[in-house]
Amino acid sequence: MTDAHKPVTEADLHAYVDGFLDEERRRAVELWMSEHPQEEAEVRQWQAQAAELQAAFSGYAQSSERDRMLLSTAATPSSPSPWRKTALIAASLTLFLSGTAVGVYGERLLASPVTIETATALDNLPGQSKTAYLVYASEKRHPVEVGADQQEHLVTWLGKRLDYKLVAPDLKGLGFSLVGGRLLPVNGKAGAMLMYQDTAGQRLTVLLGKNPENAETSFRFESTGSLETFYWIDGSIGYAVTGEVSRARLQQIAEECYRQFET
Amino acid sequence: MPHAPDQDIRVKGASPPSAETFENQILSLVPSLRRYSRSLAKSDSDGEDLLQDCVEKVLVRRSQWRGVNLRSWAFTIMTNLYRDRYRRVTQHPSVEFNDTLGLTAEDVSGDPLEKTRLHRALNALSPDHRSVLMLVAIEGYGYQDVADMLAIPIGTVMSRLSRARRQMAAHLAENNIVTLRRPK
Repeated sequence: MTDAHKPVTEADLHAYVDGFLDEERRRAVELWMSEHPQEEAEVRQWQAQAAELQAAFSGYAQSSERDRMLLSTAATPSSPSPWRKTALIAASLTLFLSGTAVGVYGERLLASPVTIETATALDNLPGQSKTAYLVYASEKRHPVEVGADQQEHLVTWLGKRLDYKLVAPDLKGLGFSLVGGRLLPVNGKAGAMLMYQDTAGQRLTVLLGKNPENAETSFRFESTGSLETFYWIDGSIGYAVTGEVSRARLQQIAEECYRQFET
Repeated sequence: MPHAPDQDIRVKGASPPSAETFENQILSLVPSLRRYSRSLAKSDSDGEDLLQDCVEKVLVRRSQWRGVNLRSWAFTIMTNLYRDRYRRVTQHPSVEFNDTLGLTAEDVSGDPLEKTRLHRALNALSPDHRSVLMLVAIEGYGYQDVADMLAIPIGTVMSRLSRARRQMAAHLAENNIVTLRRPK
């Protein structure tokens, strides 16, 4: 009872996040937080962080066929010698080459570097979109390769290169009409850029790039100076919309694009 | 308390009894050691390297183990190895540190952008802050346990934990990325 009235310290807030408080103290901390919204917001952030960390690494707590080998190679008397490392490398290489020898978990661990590259490539999407915008939106004479007057040809051509049923979203309701599009490299593969502009000549670009594996992400936002970019991945395609418009406006545009793009 | 049950021990072959018992205990700890090593390392391969070094050291130092809490002892060895490695790498920048942004072995959230963001924030932490955060948030160790394992005062554990959590939050915010609900 007296415990419940003890002042809440920062250590209590961490213990709350980490589940180290007893029921009574936990309630006391919750009551205190209800009167301290700023601290509560921070605590909720820490909780989300902890959950994210657990989700990100829990999958690694697995046995692998290599575990016993880890021990047998390390257990050889005499301290770390080069041959032991070599033996270990050779052994894991053998496992790597003979897929069947690798256990379910081992295989997954060995397979994951492929997905690492994927993440790095995806990470570039907003950057590539900004570059494309900066290069082409300011272009007076040749902003696009194929103009809106040949829209059907444009979407068929780019769609074929992306191996995807491309549509050019109709953004007229939001004040933007299609200028055209071009083929350009995204993540080292054929990608597409569509360009739109409003009656004042303000332009925005939509970048589409092939995503190495199916995924689905939430919308992300990035701003650099006055340039705003929205990006997301849906199925086999990564999308990024860039423009020099307000964040709220660009979100409307991105949502409209998302609605009209097929997956 | 540790919240992830360690994997079952699979015994094969026959070695001298005492050594076998020790090795089997280590073997049963490998899954959680693997998770901890990966949570400290910058990539899957760095994580497996750290794990290998740790298991080697644990076996070499077997005689130094005082017979209590093998798990904590192994985690302490791992933490020290990680700090030493990190120092070596930063002192000799010519040694390439694999800078790839690792994904998890098990794709839990299915959102690769989210993971990239998380790993970036983690890689910005110092090794001392990162290890305390992981021991508490993932491995489930109590603050006093961490203080004992790392031979530091509990106040230092708390300040490192605070710093790590705040730095992570700030770094995630700095990316200026906002997660929004999908409109569909």
